[in-house]
Amino acid sequence: MSVSPAGRTLPAPRHRRVNPLTLLAAAGSAAAITTAAADWVLSVAVVAACLGLSAAAGTARRVVPAAAAVLVPLGLSLLVLHGLFFPEGRTVLAEWGPARITAEGLQFAVQRILQLAAVVLALLLFSFSVSVPDLVAALSARGVQGRFAFVLASTLTLLPAIAGRARSIRQAQESRGLVISRGLASRVAAFRLQAVPLVLSLIEDAGTRAAALEARGLGNAGPRTSYREVPDSVLQRAVRVLLVLAALAAVVARVVQAGANG
Amino acid sequence: MSSPSLTLPSQERPTARRRLLEILGALAIAATYVYLVLNQPADITGGPGSASALIALTGFLAGAVLLIAAVLPTLPASTLVLIPVALVLNIILGQFVGSTLVPFYLDAIGTVLIAVLAGPAAGAATGALSSIVWSFFNPTVLPFAAGAALIGCLAGLAARYGLFRRFYLAPVAGFITGIIAGVVSAPVAAFVFGGTSGVATGAIVSAFRAMGDTLLAAITKQALLSDPMDKAIVFTIVAVLVYALPGRTRQQFPFIRRHRVLAGTNAAPAGKVDARAGASGQANDPTLNG
Repeated sequence: MSVSPAGRTLPAPRHRRVNPLTLLAAAGSAAAITTAAADWVLSVAVVAACLGLSAAAGTARRVVPAAAAVLVPLGLSLLVLHGLFFPEGRTVLAEWGPARITAEGLQFAVQRILQLAAVVLALLLFSFSVSVPDLVAALSARGVQGRFAFVLASTLTLLPAIAGRARSIRQAQESRGLVISRGLASRVAAFRLQAVPLVLSLIEDAGTRAAALEARGLGNAGPRTSYREVPDSVLQRAVRVLLVLAALAAVVARVVQAGANG
Repeated sequence: MSSPSLTLPSQERPTARRRLLEILGALAIAATYVYLVLNQPADITGGPGSASALIALTGFLAGAVLLIAAVLPTLPASTLVLIPVALVLNIILGQFVGSTLVPFYLDAIGTVLIAVLAGPAAGAATGALSSIVWSFFNPTVLPFAAGAALIGCLAGLAARYGLFRRFYLAPVAGFITGIIAGVVSAPVAAFVFGGTSGVATGAIVSAFRAMGDTLLAAITKQALLSDPMDKAIVFTIVAVLVYALPGRTRQQFPFIRRHRVLAGTNAAPAGKVDARAGASGQANDPTLNG
């Protein structure tokens, strides 16, 4: 994943005039409405729409592998679980030993997989197309704690850096003669040899960073000025309100309906 | 416990409001869990139980967000900068283990580490934040935010009451934490996902389903098999890591000094420890040392 360092001004990406909060509202309400509707036609439609949008935005190459890494194990697990063992199922398609393939079980599994695929794709499409510095600026402007924005931006920036450091520690230990063999004891020892220097250096770094941030007034209360201007418009604000209301309506309708039936 | 600025006098924080948010968050999580467990038999087999999924998502997420809003502003900067580090450790190690065929997760090492170094409140906030930030890459961890917050809180309490002072007590504390966390997370797996997200854990659930259990019962039993072992391993790893840190680094953390979390160097009376830490040139504020 290529995460741009927070705060650095990026070359304006092709005509990106959409507020990150509008994107977030769109992804969140798509996820909520799909879950509330529990309708496989809608799920398939949302999956298709997300794939189309990510292809159009040029993020498909990153979104699809990330979604597959989440959905393939989950899907396999659900298919095995409900396909083979669904005691509530009535229509038995095949049976051997304790395992019974039932139509109800397969239907349940497929419906769940489609619904989850829609939710996962919608949220991943958001996180891979949003600009993190813009999101942080938009959140801070809305009065969301500067601290939350710091944690979010800092984690996304640190992730590749720390992965790189873990790699160089492993290389250093290997050049000093670390050989990982198959035995459990050897694996545990190898883990310790790599994890201790990593965690130690990370905590030392964090201490330095804390002092620097403290000196720059992180803990102070009061208004903050952002040098980053996030695009926004009346139309986008209206769309956001509409999306949130639609999601709320879908959730309430579903819960009321369930209450009436059950 | 706020971190006063180096230049300005610290302001009075509205602590009553924060306490209210904390209580509301905990109540939201508890009420959601009770509702899900009481209502489960009617819903799960009648098609995808999306009403339960929505209630689980809304209740647990709202609880986690309330906890973050209550705790995050009170953390000192030295703890705040550790949270991103903990999140990265969770993600790197959890991503690795999640893709293997082991029925464990090991996705809480960073959270437990913060909890031991900085206390239950910081641990709970780290757990909840971890799920929220991780969902940028893997949206399926988002519903487990409440469970992760609970793990962080329990790990901090274990450290607070000295369970990390003896090396053999750490896995025991992890085991108990795992039982509680597993029971709370099971309804999320059952209602939101209709199963578990890993292949190995899914196989265990299948075995219980084959014996005719309901989905929630099967997933709870799987969680009771996997989670306590998983958390025992995590707590042991964290104990190894914390004891491997040099004393000077450990003593930076007021929580460790005040509650004598670790055995060994800090077994001295509190006053003496503080004097020594102050003498070593660190910017310790007297309010942090209670």
